Amino acid sequence: MHNALKETALHDYHVKLGAKMVEFGGYEMPVSYPQGTLKEHLACRNNAVIFDVSHLGTVELSGNGAFDKIQNLLTNNLAKIGVSQTQYTHLLDDNGFVTDDIIVWWISDETFFVMPNATNTDSVVSVLGGNDITESRSILGVQGPRAKEHLAKIEPKLLDVKSNHTYKMSIAGVECQISGTGYTGEDGLEIHVENEFASDIFEMIINLETILPAGLGARDTLRLEAGLPLYGHELSSSTTPYDARLGWVVDLNKPHFRGREALLELKNNKSRRKLFGLASSTKRPLRDNLNVLSDGSLVGTTTSGNFSPVLNVGIAMAYLDDGDYNDLDVEIRGQIEKVKITKLPFVKHNRTKNTKNERQ
Amino acid sequence: MEFPEDLKYTTEHEWVKDEAGQFKVGITDYAQDALGDVVYVSLPTADTRVEVGGTLGEVESTKSVSEIYAPFTGEVRSVNDQLNERPELMNEDPYGEGWYCIIEPDDIEGYTSLMSVEEYIEFLNSK
Repeated sequence: MHNALKETALHDYHVKLGAKMVEFGGYEMPVSYPQGTLKEHLACRNNAVIFDVSHLGTVELSGNGAFDKIQNLLTNNLAKIGVSQTQYTHLLDDNGFVTDDIIVWWISDETFFVMPNATNTDSVVSVLGGNDITESRSILGVQGPRAKEHLAKIEPKLLDVKSNHTYKMSIAGVECQISGTGYTGEDGLEIHVENEFASDIFEMIINLETILPAGLGARDTLRLEAGLPLYGHELSSSTTPYDARLGWVVDLNKPHFRGREALLELKNNKSRRKLFGLASSTKRPLRDNLNVLSDGSLVGTTTSGNFSPVLNVGIAMAYLDDGDYNDLDVEIRGQIEKVKITKLPFVKHNRTKNTKNERQ
Repeated sequence: MEFPEDLKYTTEHEWVKDEAGQFKVGITDYAQDALGDVVYVSLPTADTRVEVGGTLGEVESTKSVSEIYAPFTGEVRSVNDQLNERPELMNEDPYGEGWYCIIEPDDIEGYTSLMSVEEYIEFLNSK
């Protein structure tokens, strides 16, 4: 028996659109719409899609201690950004292992939205404090090289949303918080809106007929191609940010953050496994938790895997003993699939594209 | 969802069609819909013997893997090689171009004892 699943404000809208609903992070979420994961994936790479990602957490932190609280707890250096910017960061445990990966939206002088993964929101609140506003707001992710261009038909200012920036803006008279963030490797933005207006905004965007709804299935294959980590897979309480090659998320020059001392010890530990990208030469999807072999001996395990709709082959991320590999074998249910080490991301990020300049 | 009347069905959501003594096997509309986008199909080898319930191969979508089981004991006569390059045919045309393989049953009983379309729909509704 499991507890009743939570629903986002857009739940009934997804059902109306014919979405297949699945459990994710305690919520009943759309995994795909009738057009299917592959079409949704390619629409995001070539045009634009919209995701309901309201299952992510939002913890609001405000007051004159808010900056210091975040700065003294999380790994990245908040002083590197300013008001109206966003930052990717980690919460570690005292042993230097990852408790969660988080995006911080710096809303105004003394107000921050801290966004943990769905299942980690409670543990983040317990160490950071703040106000969990997850249940009162929705988050719509609009992603793809033409996302902003299409959205500009509703609100022209959306064309000017910059990567890693966040703005208060109204869309069709509705106050929203808009960030140039996402999880697909494409340009795009995320819209934070009060639940009561979420369906109106979602419908307005769908009705443009240029932005396709996309489910968590496509979101997962998109982030995998983009080499982006998923908590519970590439990041967990047994990995450090360095294992995942995310050292840039950690600023050891800061005097304080949780796990700092332990991390100093672990940073140069050569015996720890490192994250690698693997690609096969067939269409067979790679999966998570598969053994990776080099000349017949076990050198690691995959953490995420699937079929890459862009590359048309199986891809995976895997933790492997540090070393110089070229050809490796992945064991799939007793069979061997040959793979090559592939530099991450599998598909290059398109986030630097500026649609405004391209059109001039 | 469509379930053609001239086919026989299994509890593993496969169909069998008698095409003038050639027994074609595939997955049902229900199965392809539940799988989602099929991206890879592993096929059995022609001229191999298979036991009823034995694994013929696998169908993989972006979200899961599903085994294909022999609906009866017999010999694999041919396989749909087209699925190597175009696995999406299983979604687009599950009863036509998306067929999986042809098996000759040792005993015609293996085929005739499968479910009729009415029995299969009843089976689906009871799930």
